[in-house]
Amino acid sequence: MKLSVDGLLVYFPYDYIYPEQYAYMLELKKGLDAKGHCLLEMPSGTGKTVSLLSLIVAYMIANPLSVTKLIYCSRTVPEIEKVLEELKKLMTYYEKERGQAPKMVGLVLSSRKNMCIHPQVSKERDGKIVDGRCHSLTASYVRERHNYDDSIPICSFYEGFDIEGREVQLEPGVYSLDDLKEYGQERNWCPYFLARYTILHANIVVYSYHYLLDPKIADVVSKELSRSSVVVFDEAHNIDNVCIDSMSVKINRRIIDRSTANIQLLEQTVNEMKEDDAKKLKEEYQRLVEGLRDASVARETDVVLSNPVLPDEVLKEAVPGSIRTAEHFVGFLKRFVEYLKTRLRVQHVVLESPASFLKDVYQKVCIERKPLRFCHERLASLLRTLEIADLTDFSPLILITHLATLVSTYTKGFTIIVEPFDDKTPTVSNPILHFSCLDSSIAIKPVFDRFQTVVITSGTLSPLDMYPKILDFHPVIMSSFTMTLARPCLLPMIVSKGNDQVAISSRFETREDVAVVRNYGQLLVEIATIVPDGVVCFFTSYLYLESVVASWYDQGVVDSLQRNKLLFIETQDAAETSLALLNYIRACESGRGAVLLSVARGKVSEGVDFDHHLGRAVLMFGIPYVYTQSRILRARLEYLRDQFQIRENDFLTFDAMRHAAQCVGRAIRGKTDYGIMIFADKRFSRADKRNKLPKWIQEHLKDSLCNLSTEEAVQISKRWLRQMAQPFSREDQLGVSLLTLEQLHSEEMQRKQQNTADQKL
Amino acid sequence: MAEEEEGKEYRWETGYEKTWEAIQEDDEGLLEGSVAEIIQRAKRKRQAERHGNTRLGMMRHLFLVIDNSDCMSNQDLKPTRQLCTIKLLEGFIDEFFDQNPISQMGIIITKSKRAEKISELAGNPRKHIKAVQQLTQVACSGEPSLQNALELALRSLRMLPSHASREILILMGSLTTCDPGDISVTVQNLKAQGVRCSVIALAAEVHICHKLCRETGGLFGVILDDCHFRDQLFQHIDPPPAATFLDSSLIKMGFPHHLMQEGKEASLTMCMCHVDSTDGEGGRLNSGGYFCPQCCSKYCELPVECKACGLTLVSAPHLARSYHHLFPVDNFKELEFRDMQDKIELCFACQKRFGEHDKHVYECGTCSRIFCLECDMFIHDLLHTCPGCATNHSTSQSMSNDSVPPR
Repeated sequence: MKLSVDGLLVYFPYDYIYPEQYAYMLELKKGLDAKGHCLLEMPSGTGKTVSLLSLIVAYMIANPLSVTKLIYCSRTVPEIEKVLEELKKLMTYYEKERGQAPKMVGLVLSSRKNMCIHPQVSKERDGKIVDGRCHSLTASYVRERHNYDDSIPICSFYEGFDIEGREVQLEPGVYSLDDLKEYGQERNWCPYFLARYTILHANIVVYSYHYLLDPKIADVVSKELSRSSVVVFDEAHNIDNVCIDSMSVKINRRIIDRSTANIQLLEQTVNEMKEDDAKKLKEEYQRLVEGLRDASVARETDVVLSNPVLPDEVLKEAVPGSIRTAEHFVGFLKRFVEYLKTRLRVQHVVLESPASFLKDVYQKVCIERKPLRFCHERLASLLRTLEIADLTDFSPLILITHLATLVSTYTKGFTIIVEPFDDKTPTVSNPILHFSCLDSSIAIKPVFDRFQTVVITSGTLSPLDMYPKILDFHPVIMSSFTMTLARPCLLPMIVSKGNDQVAISSRFETREDVAVVRNYGQLLVEIATIVPDGVVCFFTSYLYLESVVASWYDQGVVDSLQRNKLLFIETQDAAETSLALLNYIRACESGRGAVLLSVARGKVSEGVDFDHHLGRAVLMFGIPYVYTQSRILRARLEYLRDQFQIRENDFLTFDAMRHAAQCVGRAIRGKTDYGIMIFADKRFSRADKRNKLPKWIQEHLKDSLCNLSTEEAVQISKRWLRQMAQPFSREDQLGVSLLTLEQLHSEEMQRKQQNTADQKL
Repeated sequence: MAEEEEGKEYRWETGYEKTWEAIQEDDEGLLEGSVAEIIQRAKRKRQAERHGNTRLGMMRHLFLVIDNSDCMSNQDLKPTRQLCTIKLLEGFIDEFFDQNPISQMGIIITKSKRAEKISELAGNPRKHIKAVQQLTQVACSGEPSLQNALELALRSLRMLPSHASREILILMGSLTTCDPGDISVTVQNLKAQGVRCSVIALAAEVHICHKLCRETGGLFGVILDDCHFRDQLFQHIDPPPAATFLDSSLIKMGFPHHLMQEGKEASLTMCMCHVDSTDGEGGRLNSGGYFCPQCCSKYCELPVECKACGLTLVSAPHLARSYHHLFPVDNFKELEFRDMQDKIELCFACQKRFGEHDKHVYECGTCSRIFCLECDMFIHDLLHTCPGCATNHSTSQSMSNDSVPPR
């Protein structure tokens, strides 16, 4: 349908629209008009993606000068593919309505692993190996060598692209991964490099977060994107963790050992080269004198694997004299690695700031700050000069230089923690050096600064006011939308006590209490008896999951559970978990019914959807607080308190509640779906926890559904399940939660719209 | 009923039942009315969906699959799910054969991961009712197996001629099914064989049941309470529209007369229906009965399939009664009683005086007579002819002339 959003003509590819989609578009339009950043929460399954796409595309068509590009970031490859599908649908609709599709190029960029069409390389499973092999076929010196020696293999697809690809622009249209691969096959062009080249002039780019947030990659891929772009982060509830992870480094003994081996290899190669090709090294030296900027002239294929976190001044300066020659640099690295080795040889936990670390380095091994900063780039240059094609082996050493550069570049917002052993196993010595980023705004700051509009959106962003604080930005629009429903298709309940009236809670003091564990078991058994098909449970940690299941075995809970349903458990092993998931789905499909025990923050809680029969009920056993004893977390909390005035407790609760919401939100994936959400912990019923749940859950969490006992919850669920199973058709939704164009424009709806958006400016 | 109940739990041990929550006050603050109205509205709605002039499968072959697993002893239906189901089934079976005299039914129960046929495909309601009643003695145990039950039913249904409609109606209390193999293969098989499977679930929507119904074109229902259960069950009495690929064919039928051999030489004979039954009650010798026009076997009741020659034996009223499904009485118009108050006082059919509690009255579109709600339901459910039209000579004539023979 064609609708007008605040005067903007929007082509919407469906005949019906949800009221909240319209409200969402209104808010988004305001944000685009103001050229500011937005923070929007809307439940999953209400068509966020299509609303975003259709509004922004319409906006780009109407205002071709103010918004030139849409950068859509999502988390996983299937999610990215889904976005492309919606985009295709939208373009088809434009074509149908207007006779021609808008002249827009939309495409996806993913890793080489997903895009490679080289007959051998694409067979590899591991992303790193694909990258390495691709590099060994396409690096500039490899191709140069190929010019006078035909026996050296190169990638014909890259060559094809290099010869003709850059002159021809991709025709307007939407290209998914498969489309790009096909296109590449037809023309003999490499789809990966084609996509990387095309994102510079494409109108719509869909890729993963990391291409923008991870400074190592962002610098290569996304550097030249224009300012007038709109950036969308979908499913962004964990964006602060992504930011932090991309700036943190973890070093253990294994990495040190392997990098020592790397250095030896380097040394050997340097010596060899000195004998037969001293000229080359000299050339490199000259280049380094002139500065790195010239050294790294657009050699895209070379630099992609090894780009450091370099502030601009590093590139402008010349490399310090002390590490210009290859031998000196290798010696320098040796010293640094030795130093790290000594640091790992500790008996107690060390916590220090980057500044004192630098001072210590200077005192112990006489390494100054400045050369450290160039470490990463210097290594990249050396590896290029030595013509080492396969960079995968060097990843430990690259990691170490990465650390060196980071530690010497940023003094604020980071901390260094050396732990001699794991907290769980205090007897086993397993020293780890964490170089940990505490401030999530560091990584995302360039994004906010560079682009005029950044939209952060997800199904669960509550409480909204936390994100601007921890990401340090000022949104112009901040809204949370609910889900308008024709029937109450979600049933959130807070179960606070068992049948014996013992309060249940995963508080540290009571979590091992037999009564609590038994009541959890009782709750699960009773729910499993009355809920059909799939039931998913989330525990607060793997440790707790294990201990609870162990005592359930003793108490006979597992037996009575298995009388009704099959039992599957998520483990830390990814392969095992996916096997368990597969069989879980089979059990649900065939009517056998299954229970999946998993962990909040685990793989299942983030990426897997349990729609319809796969998740009729979700149980959250306890509040998923992070492990508060972790030193990294403590350091971060302290930093947040000092820098952003966020109280520790506030942040912990915020983090726990967003994960809880994320977990229970797995069950509802659309308006025709229905599911029970059970929060099994007394503490959930307190106002400070309840109010932090997303609005669309809070709305259905009536007072009568808080503070229930197991039995009461079972009774309510039973009746509710019967009601929900009554036939439900599109006609029932029409006019309430699903609107036609006429209904949308009726006055009453317009008024309702005004009230839907909960402005919190 | 309360005495029969020997459940594991006492009444006070069962779950809370907030019975008051289901009840809402109507505009005048009356309670009863609104609940009844909800149910009646549902009934009328179902009726409204019926249309004339559709091809219906008249010769129905229905297998009832009754879940007899552990969860049927649950007490959320009173006294237990099992007893409630049996009670309703007795009524259902009677009604079924009353409305579909030339149809046949069989009964399968499933428990302890097995399926068992307790009553073969046959057209005798009494036998089925007896089989069902005997279930009260059977303890509920184990898990049901949907696949085994379906396979068992399919084995019998597969043999049937192509003009017969094949149906399976499953009463499922359990939320799980324990199957020996891949049930989706069975579902595809059923679909290929044109068996229409319907499920009435007693607890909640189970994916595989829903899928089974969707694939095979049956109805899927979940009950809210025992009244709703009855409604759900009884909607299966009306014959379903015939599957498009059912052949039309001519069927040879016998119309035996009831013969009484009188006089001295009348010999006492045993009828075929009871000849191999061991219990004494039916097997008495008598001289009268229905005799198959083809092979002269004697039967004590109709309709029946002749055991000797396989001829379907019916009486003309049976056929006529089946016929009415093809020409349902048109739905009556619902009128507000308040508007009509001055004009009418009595229901045309039962002569009841309309009072305060009659919110709506119903008008036949053809003869414009007014009926009360009970009569409206009775006419559409059982009578299948409007008394107003039938008493009026001209309309009754024109009706039979207008009616279009089935395609």
